[in-house]
This record gives sequence, C-alpha cells and structure tokens, in this order.
Amino acid sequence: MIQRTLPIAFAIVFGVFMLAQYFVPHPWVARGYNTVLDWKQIVFGCTLTLGVFSLLRFHGRKLLRRDPGALFSGVALVSCIATVLAGIFFGIEGGPYRWLFERVQAPMQATLFSMLAFFVASASYRAFRARSAHATILLVAGCIVMLGRVPAGDILGFDAGGARYSLAGIASWILDIPNLAAKRGILIGVGLGMISTSLRIILGVERAYLGQSRSGGGGS
Amino acid sequence: MSEIQRPAPGSAPGSAPGPASGPRGSLGVLAALDRRWIYLAMALAVAIPMLAPVRLPIVISKEVEAFHREIEALAPGDQVLFSFDYEPDVMAELDPMTEAILDRLFAKGIQVIAMTNYAGGVGIGQARLEAAARRHGKTYGTDYVFLGYNPDWSGTMLRLGESIKATFPVDQFGRPTAEIPLLATCDAYRDIELLVSIAGSQLSEFWAAYAGARYGQRMVSGNTAIQAIFIYPFYQSGQIKGFLGGLKGAAEYETLIERPAFGVRGMGSQSAGHLLIVALVIAGNVGYFLMRRKGLLQGNRLRAVERKGRS
Amino acid sequence: MRRPYNPLMLVRPGSRRHVLLMAAAILLAAAPRATGEEAAADTTAAAARRWFATERLPTFVPLVLFASLVGGFILAARGGRNLFVRRIAGLDAIDEAIGRATEMGRPILFSPGLDEMDQPATVAAINILGQIAEKSASYDHRVSVLNRDPIVMSVAQDVVRSGYLRAGRPDLFREEDVFYVTYSQFGYAAGVAGFMVRTRPAANFFLGHFYAESLVMAETGQATGAIQIAGTDSDAQLPFFITACDYTLIGEELYAASVYLAREPLLLGSLKAQDMAKLLVIIFILLGVAAGFLGVNMDFWAAASGAGG
Repeated sequence: MIQRTLPIAFAIVFGVFMLAQYFVPHPWVARGYNTVLDWKQIVFGCTLTLGVFSLLRFHGRKLLRRDPGALFSGVALVSCIATVLAGIFFGIEGGPYRWLFERVQAPMQATLFSMLAFFVASASYRAFRARSAHATILLVAGCIVMLGRVPAGDILGFDAGGARYSLAGIASWILDIPNLAAKRGILIGVGLGMISTSLRIILGVERAYLGQSRSGGGGS
Repeated sequence: MSEIQRPAPGSAPGSAPGPASGPRGSLGVLAALDRRWIYLAMALAVAIPMLAPVRLPIVISKEVEAFHREIEALAPGDQVLFSFDYEPDVMAELDPMTEAILDRLFAKGIQVIAMTNYAGGVGIGQARLEAAARRHGKTYGTDYVFLGYNPDWSGTMLRLGESIKATFPVDQFGRPTAEIPLLATCDAYRDIELLVSIAGSQLSEFWAAYAGARYGQRMVSGNTAIQAIFIYPFYQSGQIKGFLGGLKGAAEYETLIERPAFGVRGMGSQSAGHLLIVALVIAGNVGYFLMRRKGLLQGNRLRAVERKGRS
Repeated sequence: MRRPYNPLMLVRPGSRRHVLLMAAAILLAAAPRATGEEAAADTTAAAARRWFATERLPTFVPLVLFASLVGGFILAARGGRNLFVRRIAGLDAIDEAIGRATEMGRPILFSPGLDEMDQPATVAAINILGQIAEKSASYDHRVSVLNRDPIVMSVAQDVVRSGYLRAGRPDLFREEDVFYVTYSQFGYAAGVAGFMVRTRPAANFFLGHFYAESLVMAETGQATGAIQIAGTDSDAQLPFFITACDYTLIGEELYAASVYLAREPLLLGSLKAQDMAKLLVIIFILLGVAAGFLGVNMDFWAAASGAGG
C-alpha cells in the first residue's frame, strides 16, 4: 500500500506544485520552487550511483560465474575502477585521469560515431529505392539537401539576371519551407503527447514509472 | 509504415548473392554491391581530401550570418554563458565551431562563463577553454570560469535563472563560486548578455524552452548537421537568434571571422562523402530499375529462379 | 497485538488520507521561511507579490483547455463510451516476431530507447514491453532487455516479471536478462550490437527515444537476419529505422500503440483528447493564415506572449 500510494502521492503533490509555480510569481512560491530544484539535483546525483552499482554488479557476476564474455566484463570493471582511482589519487585536472579521457575514451567514442558514415552509405545504397512517387520525391529532396549542405552545392548552379541559382539555394528552400513546416507539425504533436503523458502522471493515471504495466486490457 | 523487407535468416537484402547465383556482369554489380566495397569507397572519399586538401568556395548562409551578428553585437566586458553540450563522439563536428567561437569571444574581450550538461563534456570544455585562453592570454577567474558538470540538466537550466552560485556552489576545480571575481556581478540569466549552446543533442531546444521562454534569455546555438534541422523552427520564430549547422556551419563562421581552420579544411572530405552517397543512391536505383525491366525482380527481391543461378 | 500509538488519530495508519497528509507535511516542513532581511526585502518588493503572471495567460488558457479535454474524455471513457482508435499495423507484427523467435529458438531483444523514465516515449515503450513479455512467456520464451538508464532498467525488470506472472510463468524471469549496459550513448550502441552479433536474436524491438546510435543498432540487427520492429518519436532517426527495420511505428503511433495494447479507458481518453487538441491547433493555424491574408492585426497575441510567456 505504502509502496504504491506514496510515490503516486508525491507525483501528484509535486507535479501540481511545479505546474502552478510557472504561473504564480509570488516570492513564497518562488522559494518553494528553488527548494524543489535543489532536491531535484540531489536526487539526480543519487541515480548516477545506482547506475554504477548496477554496472559493477552485472559485470562482477559475469566474471565470478565465468560466463561467456567474462573477459570483457573484467576489462570493463578494471577500466571503471582504474579511472576512478586515477581521478581520486592524481586529480582530474591532469595526470592519468586526463590521459585516459583524451587518449582512450575520446578516440573510442569518436570512432564509434564515425562508423555511422559507413552505415549511412551502406543503408543509402541498399534501401533508398524510388519505388513510388512519394519515395522518388523523398529521394530527390534528400540528394538535393545532401549536396546543398556542402560547398559542392554552391558550385553546382548558374547565374541569371544578377542572381545565383544553385543546389544550395534549393536545399535552403527545402529546409526553410517544407522541412520547417513538417518539423513544426511534429513538434506540436509530440508536445501535446508530452503534455498528455505528464498530465496522466500528475493525475496518477499513468503508473508505468512504478513498474505497473497497463498491458492485457486490465491496468494495475 | 515501412514496407515489409523481411530477410531470410542469416542474409540481408542488397548483399551480394554470389557470382554463381546472381545476375551476371555490370548489372549484377550495380544491383548487389558487397557492402565492404562501399565502406572502402567511403574511407577513401574522406581520407584523400584530408591528406591532399582541396580549398572550396564557402557561401555564407543567413542563419550563420545571424549568429555572427549576435556575437559582434557584444561589447567588451559583456558576459556570455557557454555550454559545452556534447561528448567526444561528436567532437570532430563541433570542436571547429567551438574553437572559432571561443577565439572570437576572447578576441573581443567577452567574459566567458562555461559549463557542460554532459559528463564527457568536462574534459572537452576544460581542454578547449585552456587552449583558447593560452592563445589570448586570458586569466582564469577574471576572464573566464568553468563551472563544470551538473547531472540534472533540466534542473540546472531552470536553477541558473535564479542563481548561478546556488546551482554551482563550486567550480570544476573546487573553488567556491562566491570567491570568483567574474561572478561577483553575475548571478543569473538577467546578468548574461548571450547564451551559446554547442550541442550534439536536443539540449539547444531545451535551453530555448527553459532559459529562453521562461527567463527571456537571448541565445544562439551550434549544432551537428542532423540536429540543426530541428533548430529551424526555433530560429524562424526568433527563439534562437542564429545557429551554426555542422561542419559547414563552422566553415562558414571561420570564413566570416577570417580564421580558416579545420572547418574549412574539412569541406573537401565532406563534399566527397556526400557526393559518394548520392552516387551510391543513383547507382542502386539504376541497378534496381534495370533489373525490374529485365523481369529479374518480384517486388524488391530477386526471384527464386534467379537465386538458383538461372538468368 | 496492540497497534502502536498514532497521534494522528483522525486517520487510519497506512490509509490514503494518511499518506497524503504525510506528503503535505513534508512539503510544508521543507518550505523555506522568510526571516530577517528576507522579510524586509519582501516588503519592499510589493509589486512582485503577484499571484498570477498575466503575461503567461497565452500559455495558461490553452493548458486549461487541453487539461479540460483530457479530463472530459477520461470521464467519457469511464462512463463506458466506446472511443475508437485505429488499428496500428506494426503491432500485428509483434506476435509474428515473437512466434518466429520461439520457432527458431533464438533470443528476443528489446531496447527501450535512451531516454529517462519521465519521457513519454520511454513510458510507451515500457507499456509495450509488458505485452511482449507476457506474449513471449506464453510461448515459453524469454525477452532480453538492454537498458541505458538504471531507473528504466529497474522499471523494466518489474514489468517483465509482471508480464511473465500474468502468463503464468514467473519461473522464467532471470534478472540477468534485463540488464544495464552503460550510460554512454555509443557505448550502449556497441553493447547492443555486440549482444546481437554474439546471440543472434531472431526478433529485435527498438521502441522508445533514440539518437544517432539508432542506425548502428538497426544495421547490425539487419545484418544478423533478425526481424526488426521499431518505434520512436525521434523523427531524425525515423529514416534510419524505416530503411533497416521491417516495421516502424512513426512518431505518435508509438504513444497510440501503448494505449491500443493496454485498452485502458483512461489512456484511450487522453489519446482522444490529444487528437482533439491537434484539431483545435489546425483550426487556429487556418484562422491565423486567413487573418494574415485579410490583413487582420494579430499583434495583441504577440504582445501578450512576448513578455516571457
């Protein structure tokens, strides 16, 4: 009872307060708002430790049981602990901690992201087919924008009547008019969805965050 | 909804069916190029212009011009909140604009209050600030300060509107913010002339919502190319006064401030990469249509008889 | 056994009223008080002691209108009114995907996206996860859920456990099936890709909010031959999912899908309210366009919304 009702009560009380404070500039309400923000920072910091413990527990268990891939779990644990110890004993402004970030983490993260270039090229070749009128329009617009967003798009064009007509100009029009209209429509739709979900959470209707799924036509 | 493209187990559409079973000759190559050739072509397209730089003309777009105007409108002694909202994964795309903007701000005598909403942004912010400060002879605490990282990004954005010192009681290096000279007369958005968000995620949009809509903070942003597409509605409505989009945005800004650097140099590789992708799309479609004309396709898959090697 | 003495004798310990009173008491206790200089400053700032920010009226009115719509449709749904939601085609594929994985004896992979638990896409994904867990448990098959956020992981564990329980197979649940990978974006993508290459799942579900790592995961899954169902409200990633996945729930179809599966009247009511609000927005946009053509001055609205609203 307490396990279910108390979180819902907190969600309702604090949700209504944070909603109301946006429209009430009174100093009393502003002070309460600042207090809530302070507590929010504290709680958020605690959730990071939850993630660290979960990581250590998962990989530690794999290592102890010698499951398949336990070696990689060992590498993950050693890396995590070594980085923490490097920061504690040698500081974070320089030394091994900074070296680990600049020479290990940064190149690895950048490398993983750079793989996207290859995946995009492969996906473009494999799946972008002009199967229908809509697909053809999408394809042509995509190609124009891709070329228009690099200097090649500025080069590919011609001058007429004192004005420059180039792929970059067409790309700019596509981004300014149809793209902007579509993005704005999607923003409005997603925004309404977010308000709806937030209202459901505030009213205690939505309880997925408590681990109570609403599947199977019942709801719990 | 997407079309059904159910692959057979262990295979993927578009991969080479093998010389013994697929269509012969150039048609076969066009229709089903092994993805490893594509990867190699992309690697060469990006690497060669890096090794043999090609200088391409840069045309300035209106959103970059607007960004530039906002920076140039600042006066010496003004304070700017600079948020490093990215991690090392998008460093290659955002570092050029970060360095260009910091150089311009320090050259104009603007005071920079820096922070980050990502744990991985701490190392980046620290390194870029120190490098720019060294180039311009700036002093920590007087000309710039690095507040560091706060895990609760939404709470941080809101709390900065009330008090910077309460949000960051100490800076990244553990020094109490109450003792930092730069922050003596600056404690909230109302004291900050401009917010600069360099983001590889939606954080620029959230800055516009939390800092801009609620507290009226004037802001500009620098974003990855894919994220920049989402900034257009905010730019058009005036919530974001100007923005730099991707490496090209950095190249345009470097051109405007007459400081060509990695942004300009990277245009060769970016152009080659984009041209390759367009060429691949065209090649794939040419192969697709030729195969359809020859009756070798049922829907978008090779017919069973073709897969068995009979043409 | 005697109950411990409770000074709040007006309420039964553990009752809903008791809990709400405790929450209110905590809130009041935590609220700071004005003392000394603060009290003096309050007195001099009498002009700031407003109880309503009139410049935010253009935000307040639509919010009240939308909340009324939500409340109205929820009441209608509670009253037994039948609210129609169109069939979401991608949901039919879920059964097919789970059946395929069971026949092939290969795992089912579920990724609830990279956002935190308070985001609507994650909430929708978790709702669908419960359905998937129940269905797979009825086929005597388990679901592997890879998480980027530790709180989402905790919720996912509860949801999967509940799903197995509803199917009558609580013994199927293993905590190591629903695990935390890493908070790093591309570290998570690498972890998911590695899991797919090692275990070769037959069905991949990418439901939630995704970022640039989506193509890495979708392409890897495509290369392993899995049937892939995606759903995201992140429209930057939709093109990648559409090219690499078999079925894609686009934008709000993800929210609608979770409501459709649950068939909960309260959720249906809020979904209908969303649709009605969108209709109102369209009407106002058309009115604005017409006003623009007719030269009607709309500056009063801009003036009202320009001052911080």
